[in-house]
Amino acid sequence: MLKVADRILIVDDEELIVLTMRRYFEGLGYHVDAAHELEEAQALLANRQYDLVICDLRLTGIGGVEGLQIVADIHQRCANTRVVLLSAFGTPEIERESYNRGADAFLHKPKSMMEIASVAMNLLEQR
Amino acid sequence: MSNESALNRILQPGGITPVYQPVVRTLNGSFAMHGVECLSRGPKGTNFESADVLFEYVRLKREESLVDRACISEALRGARMLPADLRLGVNVHASTLGRDHGFINFLRKTTEAAQIDIRRLMIEIVEHAPPWDGVSFLSAIEQLRKLGTEIAVDDVGLGQSNFKMLLDVSPDYLKLDRYFVEGCASDARRRSVISAVRQLAADSHAELIAEGVANAGDASSLQSLGVSLMQGFLYSEPLTLDAMQEFLAA
Repeated sequence: MLKVADRILIVDDEELIVLTMRRYFEGLGYHVDAAHELEEAQALLANRQYDLVICDLRLTGIGGVEGLQIVADIHQRCANTRVVLLSAFGTPEIERESYNRGADAFLHKPKSMMEIASVAMNLLEQR
Repeated sequence: MSNESALNRILQPGGITPVYQPVVRTLNGSFAMHGVECLSRGPKGTNFESADVLFEYVRLKREESLVDRACISEALRGARMLPADLRLGVNVHASTLGRDHGFINFLRKTTEAAQIDIRRLMIEIVEHAPPWDGVSFLSAIEQLRKLGTEIAVDDVGLGQSNFKMLLDVSPDYLKLDRYFVEGCASDARRRSVISAVRQLAADSHAELIAEGVANAGDASSLQSLGVSLMQGFLYSEPLTLDAMQEFLAA
């Protein structure tokens, strides 16, 4: 029987990043949804089951750590969903906090699409 | 949809598309129109095209009132084309009734502009986010009663639709969530819940409307439990205005 393609949610406020990641992962055969802000991501997570969420730490421009909230939400109600956090501003404290809240990977930007995809696919295979 | 424009795109003209789903009264294998529920879809091609995602987002943004108003405006603008004897169910968050002190006036003006008798409205109260101002909420309910609208409590049986609401509002209708309806023909526990809620409705002089009726078996079970008002894909999916007019003409 054919396996149903994994469903990925990409959360980033930068439209260009969303488009690039969407195209890349759809090209690999995944179903991809995208959200641009915390509440949009939370609304999707409340209504759909995702296998993997790739989320930027900062969704509001300056000083935000909304990604941590998303990680906590997922950890609370979607035990089977894997989470990758991306950040250009990740301090060791934030990285530690991300893992404490349930992130499966924390990647420091910049990262190539291939690097992100490699981590994502490994996480999906480990489930 | 960029970060800045998500809510704006929902609220801009054409952002919300109204659709209409029949509510029918069943009788001995046939059915007659009882009314329609006005439903809303968000901007096409976005996550918000799904009503569940749209309203979850709106509640998280705490913009229920703005979006409730927009949905009702769009729905009633179209509904003026429907027969004048048809009840029109419109969804309103309890928080809108409790916090938006201009809402009743908005409703009056919007129905006037659409040339719709406000007494045709069935206000379907969606309860998701207490606390709101209880005094204002009850005052809004009283004003709706004076205007002659009917009142329904939506999603009965699910988390936030509680008994307090039923006592406070004394609704004309209880809308039983699809969760309890789907598969009730083969599930005694679901039938037991339906039977209890129907008794609760009867004791409150309200009628029960079963949502999400999708097959004849479930409809038959509901009828045997004394539920005659139904809504769901067995009768019709939510329809655009044009399709609704065709449905009514058929």
